[in-house]
Amino acid sequence: MEGGPQDTKLLVLPSRLVERLRASAARRGLSLSNYAVEALEQALRAEAMGAPLRDAVDLYLLGEVQRGAGAVQLPRSSLERLVVELYPEMGEELRGAWSEAGRWYGAYLRAKLRGADILAFLERALLVSWNLDEAEVRDKGGAVALRLTSFVLSLESTELLLSYVSGAMDSLGYDETGRDIMRGMARARYVRKRVR
Amino acid sequence: MTKRKMLAAEEDIANRVVEMAKRKGSTVFQTVNDILEQALRADGMGLTLDEILERRGMLERAREVGLTFTPERLLYEVVDVAYGRSRKRLSQMWLEAGRWYGKFFAGRSEDGVGAFEEAMGLLTFGSSEFALEEERGAIAVACVGERFSPGFTEVFSLFIEGAFEAFGYRRVAREVSKGIIHLRFEGSG
Repeated sequence: MEGGPQDTKLLVLPSRLVERLRASAARRGLSLSNYAVEALEQALRAEAMGAPLRDAVDLYLLGEVQRGAGAVQLPRSSLERLVVELYPEMGEELRGAWSEAGRWYGAYLRAKLRGADILAFLERALLVSWNLDEAEVRDKGGAVALRLTSFVLSLESTELLLSYVSGAMDSLGYDETGRDIMRGMARARYVRKRVR
Repeated sequence: MTKRKMLAAEEDIANRVVEMAKRKGSTVFQTVNDILEQALRADGMGLTLDEILERRGMLERAREVGLTFTPERLLYEVVDVAYGRSRKRLSQMWLEAGRWYGKFFAGRSEDGVGAFEEAMGLLTFGSSEFALEEERGAIAVACVGERFSPGFTEVFSLFIEGAFEAFGYRRVAREVSKGIIHLRFEGSG
């Protein structure tokens, strides 16, 4: 950074980026300087909100993918109560429906995020979209370990969530090889399907 | 060697960016690059960073008030099954859930109705439309969701009704058909 005219400082940018910025600024009818300064101001605002700019953009993209996959936002307690109500008589049917919805979601992610790290996206999507306290999806050379934790999910909802995730993993090319479930906590293991 | 371009920024902003780079343990050059890369990413989605931050804020607020993403198809399927099996019980359940949320928002903000309206905006974000109009002590609520199932439309109208009960309003008019909810409330005091 260098000192410039009165009350300004000069920031260095590579020309490659400047050309793209210039085009972007022109689309919005702004000068390159105004466009860049506005971006810096927004980054400072994001940091003050406790959310780095990159995270904010990532979160926005995640929300868009989820909405594209047909997800809506709902008070958790409403669905939770419904599930607990229906589960004793319809557990198997509900698990089937959740698993099928998960399969569809996995196929959607595969088509939508071609080339991206889908398991990393899935981990973040589970954490944010399902409002979990912890979500971990670890891929160790084709063997995947999944761990989900929520302090408020019922046992029934935990089982349904795992059915949903296993359905998604099936579409992503993984077979479930084991699971442990207790109220608000699920662990599962998967291996990559063999190509026939 | 890469050719470099200089950009003039107000001193205050430039200094704050330098501080930000220090906090991140990064260089100013890299920090500025990263920020502008994100601006370009946003532009690629047809948005400004301001809009991105606004929507991120909405997602965060949705999380804070206990909203979670649910596959829409599953939600309607489950609600319709439950509604078919026990209409009365399910109706009561959603009415109570609405009352709970109403009390939650009434206790959280002096303008409980306004907070509820914002939450409904978050809840219906992208999937349906929610509008609230106040006129001489009465409130008209309209909610339209093309994909709402019949059972969901019914219980969702009760959810809204429950919330307004908690705000001290009574329903004076109701028109509900698949995907469309029109309710009118007046102060019950």
